[in-house]
Formats: sequence, structure tokens, C-alpha cells
Amino acid sequence: MALEIKNVSRTFEGSMKETLKDISLSVEQGEFICVVGPSGCGKSTLLNIIAGLDFPTDGEIFLDEKKITAPGADRVVMFQEHALFPWLNVMENVKFGMKMMGVPKEEQNRRAEHYLKMVQLWEFREYSVHEISGGMRQRTALARSLCLDGPVLLMDEPFSALDKQTTNKLRADLERIWEETGKTVIFVTHSVEEAVFLADRIVVLSDNPGCIKEIFQVGLPRPRRNDAVEFLEVRHNILSCVEREVEKFAKEEYDHEKMA
Amino acid sequence: MQKKNMTMKKWLSSILFAMLLLLAWQIIYTLGTGVLGWWKSYAMPSPLGVVESLGKMLGNGTLWKATAYSLRRVVLGFVISLVVGTLLGILISSSDYFNRNLKPFLNGVQSLPSVCWVPFAILWFGLGEASILFVIVIGSTFSVSLAIENAIRTVPPIYIKAAQTMGAGKRQLYLSVIWPAALPGVLAGLKQSWSFAWRALMSGEVMSAYVGLGYTLMSGRDLADINQVTGVMLVIILVGVLVDKAVFSNLERRVLKKRGL
Repeated sequence: MALEIKNVSRTFEGSMKETLKDISLSVEQGEFICVVGPSGCGKSTLLNIIAGLDFPTDGEIFLDEKKITAPGADRVVMFQEHALFPWLNVMENVKFGMKMMGVPKEEQNRRAEHYLKMVQLWEFREYSVHEISGGMRQRTALARSLCLDGPVLLMDEPFSALDKQTTNKLRADLERIWEETGKTVIFVTHSVEEAVFLADRIVVLSDNPGCIKEIFQVGLPRPRRNDAVEFLEVRHNILSCVEREVEKFAKEEYDHEKMA
Repeated sequence: MQKKNMTMKKWLSSILFAMLLLLAWQIIYTLGTGVLGWWKSYAMPSPLGVVESLGKMLGNGTLWKATAYSLRRVVLGFVISLVVGTLLGILISSSDYFNRNLKPFLNGVQSLPSVCWVPFAILWFGLGEASILFVIVIGSTFSVSLAIENAIRTVPPIYIKAAQTMGAGKRQLYLSVIWPAALPGVLAGLKQSWSFAWRALMSGEVMSAYVGLGYTLMSGRDLADINQVTGVMLVIILVGVLVDKAVFSNLERRVLKKRGL
């Protein structure tokens, strides 16, 4: 068992509403978990608590039997915005976390090269953050996260600010990299399609209070194609099964699809 | 080529505007001290008179010496302000207690014109270098602190979160994230602190210097030489602007350019 979430609740001060209520989940090592739910259901809060950036008002979380109390490089987070440092170039950004951890210089360079090549940005290592595209920034952020070699990768809607083509490419990249590295991934998204494409299991949160509505096992073989009949079937099942909860974002997604 | 022409045009129009201003000045002077009789001729400077006075002061070395003394004082004072102000700024940005309680005081004291400190300066340090230095330091230190506090407070939280999840400790967070992220804001703030220091210097020099731009200005008053007063005023503006452009704006531009801002 890699990650054990035990009865986690979170109430914010001054609010009667429980943002998260009694969340329990066991995540296997190397498992790819997607968390979906309507906006405001607390999925980002859950991720922040796992990251140690926020704290549960009740319950606890264990990573390899060690209780999580603070942020740490064993659970590096990839945010919706790239969160790269504009005063560093691509290479320096990728090496930042390793520097913090005191990884020896040579090893830093070796890993940075390895992962920058993996995300196909080695040629751009000298570029400033403002000189590269949004998709390249997220790939840089991914390389930066991977360099730390932690067992768990937490991703908070990392592709949602990107255009559809870039998103599709990055999903495929992420899946390949996940298979190569065997990391445990907790991936928060508002897109059921994205979840079905990536996840081993999909956790659906309900809104107000935010609790686990249902957990779906996605049995589809990889790599998945989002136009395959089986894919659409699973996606439809999840969407209709949780229709009430996801009404808002299901509509959003269907509209999006129509436009595309 | 097109762009170069445009810049040329803008420059030319600016120069033309300045010339018109000078011309207007000369006309007002001639009419005001002549037929209209608004001023006595010693109470109104004229462009030609100012140029003549500046030439004289440059020729006999007064202006060079005054500028050198003034710059030396302000640099020394500003460096002290930087050190003390930075420490205070770090204090009020890293402690909630001091942020709540001390920051409002600094804000209040900062709004006080530095000339108000001159009586204290003279009582405590007498007439001379130390009292001028005191006025500069007290006139710009708090501005430095507030600039630093403001720059640190407005560092995007996502940078800090990202660094924390990559295992950065408190010290590393300060040195490798907060500091570089706050740098553009700090530089913008220091620009203002510099202008406070420069103004404070003049307050101090006017009161208690025996040499310096402020002193030369006052000696112009004592000699009833309004052209000298005006000439020195122009030099004070010029030096203030030059330091701002050459040091602070320059640094700021470089930092922002590197970040694509």
C-alpha cells in the first residue's frame, strides 16, 4: 500500500459546509488514480492535504506507513499553472528541486538531461520560461517533478489551461512516462474523458459535502483511444452514473465536445 | 528605419518643447521684470543668468565639489538605510506580530517629511556631517523596509507552494524563492527610497552643511543670487534623475527583461 487516506475531513473556518467529509482511500504503489467531481467539490483541497500544503480537520494520511504532516519531495505537486520560476531558465528550473534536496551536481545534470529528453525539451534547456509555450512549460514542470524521483506524483488539473491538441499530446506523454517510471499518480481533473484516458481507478467526489460518491475501475487496455467504442462506453457510464453530481461539468464537457 | 525615424521625431518634438519652455521663461522674465514690473530683477531668474551662473560655478569648481560631497553623503546614508531598512523589512514580513504592530508605525513615520527631523538631528549630532547623515538615514530607511515588506508579501504563493513540495526548507525558501521572486518589487521600491534619500539630503544640507549642493543653494540665497539658486536646483534635479536612470531604472529593466516582463 503506497498511500493510505483515512477518514479525512476538512472544514474551513467560518464556513458551515464541510469541504471534505470522511474520505478514505487506499492507493496501490504504481497506481494511476484520477479524482473527478464538480468544481468546488474539494478535489483540489484533497490533493493539497495529501501534498501537506493543507491540513485535515479530521483523519490522517499515510505514505508508506509514515504520517503526512508537511510538504515533501516524496509527493511533489504539479499545479494547474506551471509554477516555474521566471528568474531561472528551463534547465535551472528542472534542477531546482534537486538543488533543494542536496543532490550532487553531476547527478543533477545527469537526471535533468534524462528527464528533459524524456519530455523532449533538451534542445530548449537554455530558454527562459517566457520564451517557451504553455505546453512546454507544463512539460518542464513535469520534468522538474520527475527529477526528484519521489514515489508519488500529485497533479492538480495540470493540462486544463492548455489547448486541446497540446492536452492530448501531454496526456499521451504522461501515460508513457508513468509506465516507464512506475510512479503512483494522483491526478485531479474536471474532465471525465481525461480521467478515462489516464486512470486505473477513477474516484468521483460529490459536492456539498465533498465525499466519495463512487470509485470506478477502468479496465481498458492501454494505450487508450478516446474515439474507441469501449472508451466512449466507459466514459458514458461514469458520466451517467454520477449524472446528478457532475451535471454541471458533464454539460460543459458535452458542449466542449460539440465544438471540437 | 521607420522606427528610427519615429524615435527621431519624438526626440525632436521633446527638444522643441523644451526650447519653447525656455523661450516662454525668457519672455516672462523680460516682460515681468521690465514693463510690467511684477518682480524686482533679483527676485526672478532668467535663462541666460542661470546659464551664466552655472558656467561660473563650473569654472571655479564650486559645483563639482558640491556635487561630489553631496553624492558621497547620500551614498553613505543610502547604504546605511539599505542595511537597516532591509533588516527591518525582513522583520516585519516574517513576523505577524511586528507586521501588525510595527508596520503601521513605519508607515506613519515614513509619511513625515524628513525636514521635520532636522531639529532632532542638530540637537543630537550638532551641525555637521553626522546630523546630515541622520536625516538621510531616517528619511529613507523606512521606505526601504516598506518596499521590501511589500515586495515579499506580493510574491505569488504558488512559487512558495511549488518550492515546498520540492522539499525546500525555510532558509532555502527565503534565499532561492522569496528573494529572487521579490527582486523586481524591491528594485521598484528602492527607486522611491532613493528619491527620499536625495530629498532628505537636501533638507539636511540646507540646514547644516558647509559644502554640498544644498549649501550652495543656500549661499545663493544669502548672496541674493536667484540665478545661482535656480542653477543649483537644476543640478539637483539632474543628479537625482541621472542616478535613478543609471542605477535603479537600469537594474530594474535588466531584471524584468530577463524574465520577459
